[in-house]
This record gives sequence, structure tokens and C-alpha cells, in this order.
Amino acid sequence: MHSDALNPREPASGHSADAGTASTPGANPVVTMHGIVKTYGSLRANDGVDFDLRPSEIHCLLGENGAGKTTLMKILFGLVSPDAGEIEVQGQRVKISSPAVALSHGIGMVHQHFMLLPNFTVAENVVLGSESNFDLRFRADVVEARVQETANRFGIGIDPSARVGELSVDAQQRIEILKLLYRGAGVLILDEPTSSIGPKQIERLFATLDELRHQGRSVVLITHRLSEVVDIADRVTVLRLGRVVRVAARGNFGERDLARAMVGADLPPRPPRKPVPPDAETLLRVRALEVVREDGNAALAEVDFAVRRGEVFGIVGVEGNGQRELAEALSGLRSPSSGEIEVASEDASRASPRELHARGVSTITEDRLRYDLIADMTLAENLALSDVAGGRISSGGFLNRRRIRANAVRLLAEYGVSPASPDAKAAALSGGNQQKVVLARELSRNPKLLIASQPTRGLDVGATNFVHGQFRKLREQGCAIVLITLDLDELMALADRVGVLFKGKLIYVDDAIDVSMEKLASAMAGFEPVAA
Amino acid sequence: MMATAPEAPRPRTLRETLAGGAAQLSSRGSTATTAAALVGALVVTGVVIAVLGASPIAAVRAIVSGSLGSTYNFGQTLSVTAPLALTGLAAAIPFSARLWNAGGEGQLYAGAIAGVLIALTAPPLPHVALAALALVGGMVAGSLWASIAGILKAAFGANEIITTLMLNFIALLVADYVITGPWAAPAASTTKNIPANATLPIIWSGTTVGTGALIALAAVVAANVLMKNTTLGFGIRAVGAGGDAAKLAGFRIPTLTVSAFAAGGAFAGIAGAIAVLGVQYALVANISENYGFTGIAVALIARLNPLLIIPSAFFFAITSVGGNNLTATTGISPSASLIITAAFVIFLLAFGVIKLSYPERSA
Repeated sequence: MHSDALNPREPASGHSADAGTASTPGANPVVTMHGIVKTYGSLRANDGVDFDLRPSEIHCLLGENGAGKTTLMKILFGLVSPDAGEIEVQGQRVKISSPAVALSHGIGMVHQHFMLLPNFTVAENVVLGSESNFDLRFRADVVEARVQETANRFGIGIDPSARVGELSVDAQQRIEILKLLYRGAGVLILDEPTSSIGPKQIERLFATLDELRHQGRSVVLITHRLSEVVDIADRVTVLRLGRVVRVAARGNFGERDLARAMVGADLPPRPPRKPVPPDAETLLRVRALEVVREDGNAALAEVDFAVRRGEVFGIVGVEGNGQRELAEALSGLRSPSSGEIEVASEDASRASPRELHARGVSTITEDRLRYDLIADMTLAENLALSDVAGGRISSGGFLNRRRIRANAVRLLAEYGVSPASPDAKAAALSGGNQQKVVLARELSRNPKLLIASQPTRGLDVGATNFVHGQFRKLREQGCAIVLITLDLDELMALADRVGVLFKGKLIYVDDAIDVSMEKLASAMAGFEPVAA
Repeated sequence: MMATAPEAPRPRTLRETLAGGAAQLSSRGSTATTAAALVGALVVTGVVIAVLGASPIAAVRAIVSGSLGSTYNFGQTLSVTAPLALTGLAAAIPFSARLWNAGGEGQLYAGAIAGVLIALTAPPLPHVALAALALVGGMVAGSLWASIAGILKAAFGANEIITTLMLNFIALLVADYVITGPWAAPAASTTKNIPANATLPIIWSGTTVGTGALIALAAVVAANVLMKNTTLGFGIRAVGAGGDAAKLAGFRIPTLTVSAFAAGGAFAGIAGAIAVLGVQYALVANISENYGFTGIAVALIARLNPLLIIPSAFFFAITSVGGNNLTATTGISPSASLIITAAFVIFLLAFGVIKLSYPERSA
């Protein structure tokens, strides 16, 4: 039978047995993708991915950031061309070279960032591009009626004459969906549609998706939220590091096992290290921290933890559960709505980055070229950045250029940056060398407290080991480290204690020595582990 | 300091020194694209001049001889280079922080107004003292005028292109009031002449070159030091090249925003004061021949580098002064020279030899 060939390759963990039944068993897939490969430099974003989508199903594509979900769907939508692999639509081999071709095959995609014209009405946005540009008989009322008719058919509540700029984010999302339906798309790809809307709106979106399913459309939902998969998916495909690790149909998956598939099967061994003395001074204390995002939704709530001298507190969680906001609050980029942050027993809840530097706090962010380095400035300037801002390397407003240069020469040699040229632009360096520059600046001032977010993201093995070695040295010297990471290898390699963030709450905190994969996976899926 | 002797600092090449200032301007321009842009600009202007009924070669000759052909003409060109260099700095410094100063014209007028009022109303002072006071007054006025846009940006996120442009109109109308008001000269659209001990003397006899040219030269040197050797200049470049990283490093973005405008406006203010004290000896209508706006092009061609502002301003002065000779020798309008400058700027931008990006930044 044709569909047998469409079953995903046997994953290493052997989970494919439960992939058989879907909402319409036996139906021929609308879309199949075979052996899709896409590499970016040394990164294999898709490494032989098989994927199939059946009629009238909601198929979740689950995985961490960087697992290859969006790349796979951009290939299907013709935005990215694969290095290898085949795509079939309704059983026919096709080559999807552009979004226009994808749309002609009935495949449409709603991006995370909407592509709407704010000054146009809903109806105008919906028909834009699907009507002739030169139709002089264009009449607003006729078009609005047509758009309204499509909206009614799928139960999408929207006023076609409203101006898009005045509508809420979730309404704009409905317009994007309506746009695809108006063009007759049978396959709708939604990229992280729930990341920008609140719980009520998510419910409404899911009702719409449910209606689409009833009317024979197929939906691919890209997400990293487990609860959504459990709520709505007919089937789920889990990607990890560019490979399919699990395909399962409704009834054969739960949040815990999905979390486990998503983050990896086994916890690496924890290298031995000296325990932190129990009487070590507390250098960071966070009490009842709450952060509300610009859109009014809470990003962090009731977060309590403390980090002692010489201790590494590792924070993990599925991406988007408040990690970024926590790092921003701790480094002075974002003010908490309530709660307290104390650095070395002094309040720092509202401290600016400058004040935090002065009090011995160093920061490594997850977005190196945005927050840590200035790509167009030289290495010497980048290394001096916070010293210049704090007035520590100048007198009377004049820079001490000789010292800036001498410092740079010394630090570049000490941290083995290549090229070790103070005049090189930061942009000219590899990611690993850029990170060494960041470390050189942030660690050379002997911080009391280090806030590090994904410090080895995108680095090769050598650079990763270098970063980890520096962190261990820093810990020996008595620095308290908050390590926010998605990488469980990194967590186990460095952390003394572990906390799991879920929906902005620290729902599980334990000594690293007592952590197990089961506990971590279930905490990341939102279950508070039973106290052992 | 550490005992390990760092490698002996290698003397920086001129190229490196010049490259130091253009923080956020990336130049994709290879020699080939630069050449292509220049050839394109020459072809377009040649065609335009031919269409206007003159020989392009004759026109270029007219411009060159009109601007460089005699001592007097050369002096004229230098005299125009000075205000263009100053307004070029007025644009370049805020640009380095990715802030658009379209208000050089208004800041120049603010400087001219302050300069003339101080010269006309101050109690009798010795020559150097009164001129210096008026000059400093003009500088401060230009600086304050520009700071308004900086404060509006820092406090409310008001778009600085709009505010600086609008402030131009206000400054021009205030100048009109000063010209026609209590200080007006009888039956002329100008104020009374300033007293002799407020004037900036001519330093090259037989030409119009005055102390203003030296002041402009000093201003360029000062701006170069400001941008490359001070914490303020470093902060301005850091904010322009990477606002979020600068913020996390501890720079105060609102303070730097106001400071960048204040520093830029000061230079335009000096240009206005020089025009009053060293050229016109009064505040006259149209005291600026669009220097404030041409300064934007001067800054772009110089890639925001203070040292390159001088040749850039000189180039614009050649086309501007030489353009006056066009009518005499070829019979076409002096405005044709504006086409030449405009064509050069457009081609250099289009070929990516100069490139500015203006990311929308939330306040």
C-alpha cells in the first residue's frame, strides 16, 4: 500500500509502532516529504527528515528551537530549497521552488510575523495578490461580501471592513488564516501561532483549527508547547537536532514522553566536583519575582531561588517559558513588576546594567551579536565597552587609548582569540571566537555573580569545552553563576543545583546529583515532580 | 600594568586612522563599484549639460576655473568649505548614533541669531573678547536648538527627522523677526551691521578667506578628537553601531541621544555665527545657502568620518562656487552644478559605496 512507504523511518528509540492510526486511517496523505536534508554551513538543520500529512488532520511539529521544524516547513512552502529529498502533493512528485508554487498546490503558511498592511481593511488584505492588479471594477462592498462569505463558511469571526492596524494580534492571525482559505489552501502551516497570544485567544484559535479539520483541511502546527500538542493534535512529529525522533498518533502520546523525546533520551553523567559548603555566602537571592510582558501576559510569577558563592544554579525548561525575561530582569534590562532581587544582600530589583556592573555582576546573553558585542566595532572597543560606559578607562572624559589597547592585546592572548588583533572588527570573527571575546570582557573583571544564557549556543565542541572550562574556573574562584540553558549536557556538566521553569514558574528545584531524566522531563512538561 | 610587554604598537596607516570613525557606515564599495558610481554620475551630468545646450567639457572647465582658477576664486571656495564642513559635522555626529539631524539649517540660524544679538547688544568689549563671546554664544545657541530634538526623542520617542525639520522653520521665522524687528537696518532686509570689534578678520588679503576658515579647521580637529578619543564619542558610536549592546554595557541611551544632538548642533551654530561675524557682518535673509541641508550630503560622502569631512566639504564648495561661473561661460543656469552634486550623491548611494540604514527603534 502506498501509505506504507510514507511512514517515517524507524527512529533510534523505536517509537514508530504507534504511528499508524490517525483521524482518517488509510487515507492517502495530502503531503509527503522524504529524506529532506538542509545544511547551513556545518549545521544540519534537517538531516533526512520524513514527514507526512493526512487529510483532515491537525499535525503538530514539535521540537526545541533549532530542531529544524521551521526549516522543514519553509521547504514545504518554497521559501528554502532543500539539499536533498522529495516532496509529493496528492501523490504527485512536485518541485516547490517558491511560495507561489506552494500556493498553487494549495499549501499556505502563516508566519510568526504577520504580513499585513495596517492601513488596508481586512477585506483588502485578504484579496491582495489574489485579484488582478488592474481590475478597475474593484468594489469594496463586493469584495467585503465575498470575504465575509468565506469567513462565515469557516466560522471565523472578523469584520471585513475593519482596518487591520486597529485590530488585535489574534484578529490579525485570523486574517492571515482567512487569506489562505480565500485562496483555497487545503494545507495550512502555522508557525508558532500561540507564542504571541494569550490563553483565551489560543482557545479561539484552536476552535477555528478544529473547524478547518472538520471541513477537510489539513493543518501543520509548529510549536514547542507540549500542552498544545496534547490539546489538539491528531498526530505529532517530534524533531530533535534535525532528525525525526518520534511520530505518534492521538492516544499514543502524553506530555511526559513528548518532553523526553524532545530533549533527548538520556541524561549525561555528572562529572564529580567539590560540593558547595552549606554556609557559603548567598550572592543572589530572588524573592517572589514577577515580570509582566509588554502584551500584559505574565512571563514570570512567584520565582524564588538563591545562589551561593561558588555555586552554579542551572535553569532549564522548554524554550519560551520565561527564561529570556528572567535573564533580562537579572541583568537590569527589564524591571520586575513585583518581587525582589538581591545581589550580595543588597536590593538590586531596579538596578541599571551600569549599577549591576559596578556591583560585580557580569552577563552573557543568548543573543551575542545583539547584546554582547557590537559587530562593527573593533575587538579593543568591544573589550572596553563596559569599562568606557562606567568611566573606568578614561580620565576627564578622554579615553585612555593606550590602556584600552594594552588590555585588549593581553586579553586576546589570554583567552586565545583568533585573530588576536585588537583592530579586527567583531563581525569578522567566528562564533566561538566572538564568545571568547565576550568571556574575556565579562570574566576578566572577576565577577561576583554571572548571569549566563545559553553561553555555548551555536559553538563547536572545542569552543564549548573552553567556555565550560572557564565557568569551572570561575566557580572555583567563588563566583555565583546562574546558567540558563536548553542543553542538558551543559546543565549536567556544570550545575550544582537545577531549576525547571514552566510557564514562568520555577516548578522544580533539586540538587543536580538527585536529578533524573524522568524528573526533568516531567517538570519540563509542567508536572510538579513528587517530592522524593 | 602587566609585566608582559604588549607588542610594540604598530603605527597606524592613514587608511586605518580614517576608517576609525565610520562606525555604523559599512562600505561595501570596492574600488570597482566606486569607479562605476563616479562614471555613472559623470555620464548623467554630462547628458544633462548637453541637453541644456552646453558642452560638458566646457562646463567642467567653467566650474573648475570658477572655483580654483584664481586666487580670489580659490579663496571663495575655501570660504564656502568652512560652513559646509561645520554643517557636515552637525549631521555626522548624530548620524554616528543613528540619529538623523535634518535640522542643520535651523541650528545654523540659531547660531547666527545668537551671534548677531550678542554683537549688537553686548556692552563695549575689546575686539577679540566680543568676537569670541558672540562666537561662543552662537555655538551654544546651535547646540541648545539641536538639543530640543534630542530631548523630545529621549523623553517621548518623537521622530527626530520630523522635529529637526520643523525646528528649521521656527528658527527661520525667528531670524525673520530679528531682521525686520528692533534691530533692522532702515530700508533693507538685514539687521544693522555689527560693531567692528565683533568682526572676524580676513586672514588672506585679496580674498574672502577669514578667521572662520581656521575656526572650521579647528572644529574638524576637535570633532575628530571627540569621536575617537573621548568617552562621549565612544558612546555615540557604540549606540549607533549596537544600541542594545551599548545599553547592556551601561551606556545611558537618553543622555547620549541628547548629547549627540547637542554636539552636532554646536558645530552648525558656529557656522551661523561665522556667517554673521566674518562674512555678512549682519544677519541677512538667506544667510545660509542651504548649508544645513548640504551638510547632510557632506557627512554621507565623508562616511561620517570627521577627517574626511574636509575633502567632502571642499568638493561641494567647488561645485557650488564654480557653478556661478557656468552662466558666464556656457550660458546655462548655475543651478546645473547642483545637478552634479546630487548625481554624485545618488550614484554613490545607489551603488552602495555609501550606505546608511535606519532601523526603526522603539523609544
